[in-house]
Amino acid sequence: MSAPVLILDGLTKSYGALCATRDVSLQVAAGEIHALIGPNGAGKTTLVRQIYGSETPDSGTIRLCGQTVNHLSVPQRVRRGIGRSFQISNVLMGFTVFENAVIAEAARRGEAFRFLRPAFSDPALVEGAMAILVRVGIEGRAGTRVADLAHGEKRLLELALALAGDPALLLLDEPMAGAGPEETQHMIEIIARLRSDVGILLIEHDMDAVFRLADQVTVLVEGAVIASGEPQAVAADAAVRAAYLGGDDDAEA
Amino acid sequence: MTLFHILVDGLARNRLLVVILAGFALFPIYTGIADLPFWNDLAMRIMILGMAAMGLNLVLGYGGMVSFGHAAFVGIGAYAVGISQFYGLDNGWIHVLISLLACGVLGLVIGFLSLRTTGIYFIMITLAFAQMLYFLFISLEEFGGDDGMSIDRADFMPIDLWEPLRLYYLIWVALLCVSLFLMVIVRSRFGVVLEAIRGNESRVEAMGLVPLRFKITGYVISAMICGLAGTMFASWQEYVSPDIMHWTRSGELMIIIILGGIGTLAGPLLGAVAFLLLEEWLPELMHVVAPEYAENWMIIFGPVLIAVVLFARGGLIGLIRRIGGGGS
Repeated sequence: MSAPVLILDGLTKSYGALCATRDVSLQVAAGEIHALIGPNGAGKTTLVRQIYGSETPDSGTIRLCGQTVNHLSVPQRVRRGIGRSFQISNVLMGFTVFENAVIAEAARRGEAFRFLRPAFSDPALVEGAMAILVRVGIEGRAGTRVADLAHGEKRLLELALALAGDPALLLLDEPMAGAGPEETQHMIEIIARLRSDVGILLIEHDMDAVFRLADQVTVLVEGAVIASGEPQAVAADAAVRAAYLGGDDDAEA
Repeated sequence: MTLFHILVDGLARNRLLVVILAGFALFPIYTGIADLPFWNDLAMRIMILGMAAMGLNLVLGYGGMVSFGHAAFVGIGAYAVGISQFYGLDNGWIHVLISLLACGVLGLVIGFLSLRTTGIYFIMITLAFAQMLYFLFISLEEFGGDDGMSIDRADFMPIDLWEPLRLYYLIWVALLCVSLFLMVIVRSRFGVVLEAIRGNESRVEAMGLVPLRFKITGYVISAMICGLAGTMFASWQEYVSPDIMHWTRSGELMIIIILGGIGTLAGPLLGAVAFLLLEEWLPELMHVVAPEYAENWMIIFGPVLIAVVLFARGGLIGLIRRIGGGGS
């Protein structure tokens, strides 16, 4: 297995008396899908927010591609290789799918702060923008306004934007949320194809998706890691079965 | 794509702007023939207010930053002329330079301090800064304090502003420059990112961009455009007082933008035309219809504004587009 793109070491975060993240250590390797699961309120999104930079941990270190990024802002971390898809679709409303990709492409190239040429007809951006859309297969909807997209298409655009900056680490916060069975299937296939390019930290409630995609699974309960390892081993873990999968021996994994 | 192509392409996409600018360019021919010099004066006022509104629209409409203090920049632009003349500096080109510089620096400072907040806090902070400047100029007895200071029409060598219509066309050229400049930047990468920030700041951040950088830049540009409008205003009115910076003036600029069409290029200009014509004609109309209420013409003005905001979505521009069948 290749070098880890993300190493968390002893990450801890409290809000007053509530401990949202307790001494969490984990690694995500390049080319690996690492699923983060746990019941609602387990602190999964809080953990992702600390990795992403929108929350600051109280203690512990976050290393991205070998470098500590604790002190860096969100845009700085993104430029160092983090891509994120949000739980609730977070695309640029009021623009078309293509225009979303053009802006992402301008940002990826570090050339967004320019004042002269019209952005959406700039040949320097058009090609790269289309490539961003092709990766998730929504180039056919390029001219559609985001507001007119179906839910599943919006999720795909969300994923496309997260991928646009060629990240080393992809944070996927419930990419299948609200998607129908077919859309979920499609999304699973796309994420599986991404595996070779990036390290992926995947938060997902759909256990079928988790067990089909994940190389590693970490289970978070009340902010702490209670189990981590290969999916089959984690599924068989007694503590996980007790805390998460229902606490009842007959529960199906 | 050369600058020439960018401009031609932009003008082709903004025909309404072209029509309005051409209208202002030709208007003095009409007033000359019809012998209505007063209307030139009104047209100059419309162009100046329209220019300031276009400047504010960059942050208000495109950037989604509700700045409630932009009259302060118009005032600083006008005082830049008055104060320069007070110290014996008569060259109008230098006034423009000083005004752009002062408004740029001031916009940078105010933007830097206030753009960390959003929503109602941002509105209040920008209002507070503008009121601070308003009271500062009231307290500056040296520059006339409350009474303001009279200004000589600036010396724009080699243009002699005392020749008929020279001031008119100076203002027109300034408006043209502002229009072309805004036309280019709102379609540029900077412009579309600014618009993206209005809709979704967190996605822009997730793309690795620093929203604050774009917002401050937009704020500074808009402050400088308002400053330029202020220098023109000084030569037009030949007088400046703190009244120009009063918060109701900031409100007026916002009303003009909403009336004309927020977040559109020509909207603020169209709004200025409509706003000042209504202000001009309504009292006269009231004189004819109900003379005893003539001074209460705002009773009509207010509801008209509310009706436009409520029923003409997208302001007058939205109305024109729907009538023209343009759809979007």
